[in-house]
Amino acid sequence: MLTVRGLEVFYGPIRALRGIDLDIHAGEIVALIGANGAGKTTAVRAIAGLTPFRGTITYKGRPLIPNSAEMNLRAGLSLVPEGRGILGQMTVDDNLQMGIYCRKDRADAAHDIERMFDRFPILRERRASLANLLSGGEQQMLAIARALLSRPNLLLLDEPSLGLAPKTTAQVFDLITSLRSEGLTVLLVEQKARQTLKIADRAYLIETGHVVMSGRAADLANDSLISKAFLGGTSVATAETA
Amino acid sequence: MLLQQLVNGLTLGAVYTLIALAFSLVMGILSVLNLAIGELFMLGGYIGFAVIAMHFPLPVALAAGMAGAAILSVVIQKVAYEPLRDAPLVTPMLSTLGFSIILQNVVTNVWGSDPLQLPSEMFDNRVALGSVDIGVMQLVVVGATVALVAIVAYIVQQTSVGRALRAVAESREVARLLGVSVNRVTLVAFLISGLLAGAAGVLISLHYAAITPYIGVDIGLKAIAVMVIGGTTRVFGALIAGPLIGIVEVFTIAYGGSQIRDLVVYGLMILILLLRPQGLLGGSRQDVGPRV
Repeated sequence: MLTVRGLEVFYGPIRALRGIDLDIHAGEIVALIGANGAGKTTAVRAIAGLTPFRGTITYKGRPLIPNSAEMNLRAGLSLVPEGRGILGQMTVDDNLQMGIYCRKDRADAAHDIERMFDRFPILRERRASLANLLSGGEQQMLAIARALLSRPNLLLLDEPSLGLAPKTTAQVFDLITSLRSEGLTVLLVEQKARQTLKIADRAYLIETGHVVMSGRAADLANDSLISKAFLGGTSVATAETA
Repeated sequence: MLLQQLVNGLTLGAVYTLIALAFSLVMGILSVLNLAIGELFMLGGYIGFAVIAMHFPLPVALAAGMAGAAILSVVIQKVAYEPLRDAPLVTPMLSTLGFSIILQNVVTNVWGSDPLQLPSEMFDNRVALGSVDIGVMQLVVVGATVALVAIVAYIVQQTSVGRALRAVAESREVARLLGVSVNRVTLVAFLISGLLAGAAGVLISLHYAAITPYIGVDIGLKAIAVMVIGGTTRVFGALIAGPLIGIVEVFTIAYGGSQIRDLVVYGLMILILLLRPQGLLGGSRQDVGPRV
């Protein structure tokens, strides 16, 4: 579904991404894991069309034009950015209305909003509230609901667990898993490697702008390098046994 | 006397409100002070004057003044703002200042620097309400302002375009992620801003039955004061600040003399900024908008 080849991103003279390759197939959850500053967010921003890049990103066989987020959304890519990207001065309802901004099928889109309220009842209760008055978990639900309203084929999630309590993080990860079971493809950027590798099908480990390791998430979870760097020296399998 | 001055103050305040709203739409959404808005207001007035002089009715003059100012506002967006979008905030501001000086110069060359006047009886019908003598044109000014503000409020709060405007105002990046074309939304902001400034120009020039090429500087600066007093981050702060400044100005002229009116108006602005830098409708004290 998405192929990335030789992706490079520069911030002035700084080369933040040094030619990374990624492949995402339909219906899977692919994780990008790595330490702070490794280049995960830069990669996902380039794919979403927020950052100019070199190299090629091909989505459903068509190359994406750098820095064209509006076109990418219409093509079927939707990003929930780091920090959730909630429009805090607008109501929950207005945020959801913005989710259908680019859709032409207004009647269907209105039904989709109702379906989102059924899926996230708390958003229906708070629909008239300003979005910045929601809790962190509610804001994340709103951000994901809003992204889903554009009917994406590929959902990009950048650190969805950032700043959330463990229980809420678990709910978000359950939601991501259920989205996959509904046929959605997900690219998940996370620092919480342990939980991420549990729900992902495949994963890429990024360090200082390079992909240093990739493969099946279950294999990476048991890799000694990964466990040393991100899992406190304990592999997922060992941790579960313990 | 008191009620009469109140009506006069509300009339002037209505015009300040429209122009401040024109400033505020661009400032609130793009963080850019479009200094050419004062001259769009002036140009709208001249177009309205010209149309009335050709014996067209007032609604036609109003529509023509609004359309002329809106078209020019779009030109300003394309020439003076768009190419400088990524420059420091002061750069497009200076560019619009250049545009405003050019506009004033063009109008001076076309219509002359002396005030143009309409026959005083043209819009001089008056209505007596008890002790208050209200000019029909005053009612038109206030009525048209209320209608225009209601339309803008509806567009901004209830329509898809309005939501996109607010989304860009809050986060250009998030708006892009939601499929909003920032260029198109910017154009809409300049367009509405021009329509409002043009309407204000037609209304005030016909109310006074006179216009000069320099009216944009004087009233434009007051409208900026109105926007700041209302709160630069709150598009509708002008709804309170406009009538307030209009009333304060008219009362100052009536009871203190016209020689101190600017002292009082701008003194009030400085006082409010010292006490509430975020303006009357601004949120927290930090909610003061961008530094230029």
